[in-house]
Amino acid sequence: MPRTTTVECPGCPPIRALTFDALGLIKVTESRGNSGIPQVVERWGDADSSKRVLAASIDDRANDPILAVARKNSTIEISNPLNGDIFVSISNIGDGDAHPEDDDNDIAGLHLFKKSRSVGSCSLLTCTTKGNASLRSVDITPAGNTNNDGASNSWKVCAAGNILCAKVHGSEKHALFGGKGVEVNLWDLESSTKIWSAKPPPKNSLGIFTPTWFTSATFLTGDDHRKFVAGTNSHQVRVYDASAQRRPVISFDFRETPIKSVAEDHDGYTIYVGNGSGDLASFDTRTGKLLGCFLGKCSGSIRSIARHPDHPVIASCGLDSYLRLWDVKTRELLSATFLKQHLTCVVFDSNFSDKEVAPDAQNTGEIPGEDEQEALKPAKRKKSSEEMKGKKKSSRDYGSKKSKKKSRQIESEE
Amino acid sequence: MGAKRKKEDAPEMAEDADIDDGGSRDRRNRQKVEKKEEFRPSMIKNKEKRSAAHAKLKHQKKLEKRKTKKAREAADKQALELGEEPPQRSVPRTIENTREADETVCKPDDAELFVANDADEFSSILRRERAPKILITTCRFHSTRGPAFISELLSVIPNAHYYKRGTYDLKKIVEYATKEDFTTLIVVHTSRREPDALLVTSLPSGPTAHFKLSKLVLRKEIKNHGNPTGHVPELVLNNFTTRLGHRVGRMIQSLFPQNPDFRGRRVVTFHNQRDYIFFRHHRYIFETKESKQQDSKSKKGKDAEDKSTGQQVIARLQECGPRFVLKLKSLQHGTFDTRGGEYEWVHKPEMDTSRRRFFL
Repeated sequence: MPRTTTVECPGCPPIRALTFDALGLIKVTESRGNSGIPQVVERWGDADSSKRVLAASIDDRANDPILAVARKNSTIEISNPLNGDIFVSISNIGDGDAHPEDDDNDIAGLHLFKKSRSVGSCSLLTCTTKGNASLRSVDITPAGNTNNDGASNSWKVCAAGNILCAKVHGSEKHALFGGKGVEVNLWDLESSTKIWSAKPPPKNSLGIFTPTWFTSATFLTGDDHRKFVAGTNSHQVRVYDASAQRRPVISFDFRETPIKSVAEDHDGYTIYVGNGSGDLASFDTRTGKLLGCFLGKCSGSIRSIARHPDHPVIASCGLDSYLRLWDVKTRELLSATFLKQHLTCVVFDSNFSDKEVAPDAQNTGEIPGEDEQEALKPAKRKKSSEEMKGKKKSSRDYGSKKSKKKSRQIESEE
Repeated sequence: MGAKRKKEDAPEMAEDADIDDGGSRDRRNRQKVEKKEEFRPSMIKNKEKRSAAHAKLKHQKKLEKRKTKKAREAADKQALELGEEPPQRSVPRTIENTREADETVCKPDDAELFVANDADEFSSILRRERAPKILITTCRFHSTRGPAFISELLSVIPNAHYYKRGTYDLKKIVEYATKEDFTTLIVVHTSRREPDALLVTSLPSGPTAHFKLSKLVLRKEIKNHGNPTGHVPELVLNNFTTRLGHRVGRMIQSLFPQNPDFRGRRVVTFHNQRDYIFFRHHRYIFETKESKQQDSKSKKGKDAEDKSTGQQVIARLQECGPRFVLKLKSLQHGTFDTRGGEYEWVHKPEMDTSRRRFFL
């Protein structure tokens, strides 16, 4: 007898995720309730292949959050992640003489500073593929004049090669750059000087040297900028400790295709690694051991992984155009949402569950879309307060609910 | 059949689940007894008697089947006489039409799909801005059926050029072909003197598809085969429904010029069924025949409504090989790169958990 229903995913806690794709669209996926199924609720922007999103960064504070998106036609848009209104669009980020369609002028890394943010302006770190890093502050008044030259400070990260990954540490004082032909190097953002750079591993027993090609990097913890992880094109993950040595402390292989994205967990030692053929796994960086793979029929290259700050959930997206949410502990697929395009980036809006409470008191009338959600508010508030009581408890609850659901399923099948 | 049995089983199982204390055992026993009472030929131990019983059962079933068929035909006839709509034909349940629901199936009103189509790597060819130009080469060593297959491919695909592989790296060949304005590179891989894989790379930046090739029948081996003319063929692409299938379909479409020469009456078919892509190459002809030959096999002739004139048009097909089956193994983003390549789709064994899940 054919199975006419698909296997149901257990659903996930209330989550709001933003995905960015190859056609320049931004799609907002939300799941409501305690075990809701995520659905696309909003779509911003027009589909245009020249506006392909290359990098994105979000400052998801409770009031006045902003989102920065770097596009293929070398513009950066700063918008409101709640309703998609564009505050400022900065064009021609790279060199003035370079052609916008040129690959060299692509933005490899973008970071929105969260700590040093004043009202009406924000600061941005951008890094192009050629290695031009620049730190600029942007005026985000509603008038939206493209204040290009406002206090920008730029420097060259590398002389040759291409930068493919750039990451800013949680304390926002240090940044990490690496790429094709560029060893990972650590920069002090305040003085914009290079403070450390890695050394390539020695030749192997056959005398073969693998060329340097870093594809992704991330810092391990929020309080120590000297520990970080980088993934290479030769399917190797390297753990560096800047205080110890210039060569990797531990390096380990993962499958056969290049590592395409690396993300860290809050505990400071677990990392999530995604590669070019759609394998996702978690590793313990202290021992270099594989903790487990995330299995879920994922078949396209994983371009981006994001860890949710509160819930034990990670999101992955990539060329198979699915946004997948996974449980961190059980490594189980919570849900997969088909988003139609090749996805390049995913970020979480962490204030989603209690977001309905906050803007109501503080910035009323600022967000027109809020009115429709008014009806949902009381229920929402209850849920969020429940979560505040105990994260652990809620997660356990969540597990039991799942099992209950499962047993119900079995009954219905019989 | 299966459904029925399941329904019968279901209440029993539920009862089992309900009662888990001591009373359940004897209840189960009673059920066993009940089960034993129902007769099946396989319960007879004597072989002769068993086979006789089995034959009898089979005969009964056959009679029943014939009866229902006759009843259906009678109903059809009656409806026809009364001028009513004939009762609906039941559609046989196949693996293909009971496939698992898939949200990636393309919808005709999807605006995003059209924009994505315009933006993809094949759009310049399909809009006739670039003429397709194909480079065909082989793996390092090939013999017997390989060259024969390539010579037939050259006759199927217009503007295809065969280049000897030599000892060049595939990446170097990709570079060369891009420089020479080729739009697609096809590598025929041969193993044990039998072509077994096809690597199709769109140039300059397009995806690379790796197909398994099987069941190859060359032109010479087809009985009553025709010889293709030099006209640009018509192209038939069947059942490429999902986003992935759509992409593969467009890739195949970009191999052929977009202006078929209908005068040539040549048709190339890529038919997808359960993720296998069947390739066929035909010539067709419309013939007018006297209506005396009512017993012609062609159905189209009967359907044609020019019986009154005494003439009927029948379409005849002649296959002019080759004939083969493709199965997609992987679709890689960018040109050929095994070490640093990113995949859009790879077939993984963990995906084969259902017979009714298809990806194209």
